[in-house]
Amino acid sequence: MSALEFLLAGTLAAALPLLLAALGEMVVEKTGLLNLGLEGMMALGAAIAFICVYHSGSHSFGFLAASLAGATLAMLFAFLVIFLKANEVASGLAVGVLGLGLSALFGKNYESLTISGLSEFGLPALSKIPVIGPALFTQDIVVWLAITGTMVLWYILNKTKLGLIIAAVGENVEAARAIGYPVGGIRCAAVAFGGGMCGLAGAYASTVYTPLWADGMIAGRGWIALALVVFGTWQTGRVAFGAVLFGVLSLGELTAQAIGVAIPSQVLSSLPYFVTILMLVAISRHRRHSS
Amino acid sequence: MSQSIKRRSFLKGSLAATTAIAIPMQAMAADKVKMGVLLPSPEADVGWSRTLMEGVRSVQEAYGDALEVTVLENIAEGPDADRIANGLVGEGHDVLLLGSFGYQNGGIQIAKRRRDVSIIHASGFMVEPNFAPFTAKYWQGTYLMGMAAASLTKTKKLGCVGAFAIPELITSINSFMLGARSVDPEIEITVVWVNSWFDPASEQEAAKALISQDVDVIFSNAQDTPSVIAVAEEAGVYAWNLNSSMKSYATKKYLGVVGTDWGPHFKRLVDGHVAGDFKGDNYWLGMEDDIVYTADWNPDIPADMQAKINARQAEIKGGTFDVFKGPLIDQSGTERVADGVVMTDGEILSMDWHVAGVISPLPS
Repeated sequence: MSALEFLLAGTLAAALPLLLAALGEMVVEKTGLLNLGLEGMMALGAAIAFICVYHSGSHSFGFLAASLAGATLAMLFAFLVIFLKANEVASGLAVGVLGLGLSALFGKNYESLTISGLSEFGLPALSKIPVIGPALFTQDIVVWLAITGTMVLWYILNKTKLGLIIAAVGENVEAARAIGYPVGGIRCAAVAFGGGMCGLAGAYASTVYTPLWADGMIAGRGWIALALVVFGTWQTGRVAFGAVLFGVLSLGELTAQAIGVAIPSQVLSSLPYFVTILMLVAISRHRRHSS
Repeated sequence: MSQSIKRRSFLKGSLAATTAIAIPMQAMAADKVKMGVLLPSPEADVGWSRTLMEGVRSVQEAYGDALEVTVLENIAEGPDADRIANGLVGEGHDVLLLGSFGYQNGGIQIAKRRRDVSIIHASGFMVEPNFAPFTAKYWQGTYLMGMAAASLTKTKKLGCVGAFAIPELITSINSFMLGARSVDPEIEITVVWVNSWFDPASEQEAAKALISQDVDVIFSNAQDTPSVIAVAEEAGVYAWNLNSSMKSYATKKYLGVVGTDWGPHFKRLVDGHVAGDFKGDNYWLGMEDDIVYTADWNPDIPADMQAKINARQAEIKGGTFDVFKGPLIDQSGTERVADGVVMTDGEILSMDWHVAGVISPLPS
């Protein structure tokens, strides 16, 4: 396996937790809310999924339980913000910290245990392409489902009435209310969806990507996902691109060290974050010029 | 019940209660030791906190009911830890085990204020008469791992996934290299720094990146999770780690462990505390103190090499062989330690250069 093949094979899996969490948060933000609790919801999903898969051996069950756990925690956020009108920044942070604490509590007896991941399979025809085929088109089933899901989400948001309703709630809440849309209900649903996606992202991290549970294993990926939503300017395709780019950069950093590129590793480690900042600057400059 | 307690009578009552409790406590204090333990991470099946707790448990076994241990896990370094350590002392704990470097400053303050409390501290450098840091000479064992790795590698490429480029980790890698080159001078080591103490996903990807470069023995340097070991087993390359054995995660390809057994050291210090002659010192402990050991050697290691490793281990333990003895050449080809000269403890503790054969540049 060459360095290129390693990059091609690993990028989608590295990007997946970021992609799922970022897409979920993107829908939340499209309805006009901001949930900062991604890290905690991912951690809770990771712990719950690991525990379920450890005992049942079924990844489907683990993913289902994780999405429910993430959605439940997100509903707490929705309750605080939509019904009690609490400050959304503080509520999001509180829910995030709660999620981290709960994940540590539930995962206590599962610390550093391991399970088996999911097997990978190649797409017919595409995986036969020389060099890049076997590496890029041989992935586990969650990756294929996530790619399909991303396309479905793009279609829903851009081509269906539901997508327009979500946009209306986020962009002009008075108009949406005047037409008679249940704004609170739609926002609740979006928040639950976002939480569920974070749960799935955590489940992928703890049961497929690195099939083990360790307290703190999300290691800041929730915050990166949050930045990716802005990075992708709330557009499905760009958010997905950002997640993949981040996956490439984080693996590229390690690959560069492994092939012996003479750049200090701290510089390489900070590269993905540096590029994110650059992109954010570029986006805001572009906006200022066009407006 | 609407009966209100008057402040004066409450005070009287509580005073009486404290004296009533205090008298038997004082009587007990002579034969009972209370030990408080602060750990930086949760105690798992493997890893740093586990190793410390095994040491504590062996002391507990030796003392039985005469020692009461309170363990607090996953305590973030900083003000929170200082507050908790102070709380433990306030509750009457007279021996503290502070299990992480970052507990140092708060610990030193307690030591200065309460000379009757003895404090054992992991991997620091500050010393007080009642404050004793400890560190392991991992490099004594990693040299032997280098010999074993050299006998098994086919590509002559060894790899290391490291947390941060600090002297403790650098000396382990250098010694691994010296051990490998003592068997085969063509061997090279590639190091990938993850720049995080804890990120299982990055550790795993770093191991995969090394494997993609034909590395066939990986040293998981200072990682508390088995992520690197598990990936190596899956890919069919050898891997090994420090502190506690992870053989259960890699039944076929586990090369071995450079373990630490803190039990004897903790026992000696607690004994000292009880006898009233606790000695605050910078304890730098190795094989000669029965603290560093090797175990779970892979049966694939050829028998003659295993015999050589065992012989070398006996020499290190007996003090007749020094790992860091000149001539030592650094990565740029410059001679850093002259022929026959042995590096001092201070030089080893602050080593900030890689020996020849480690091909990755050192982060500056």
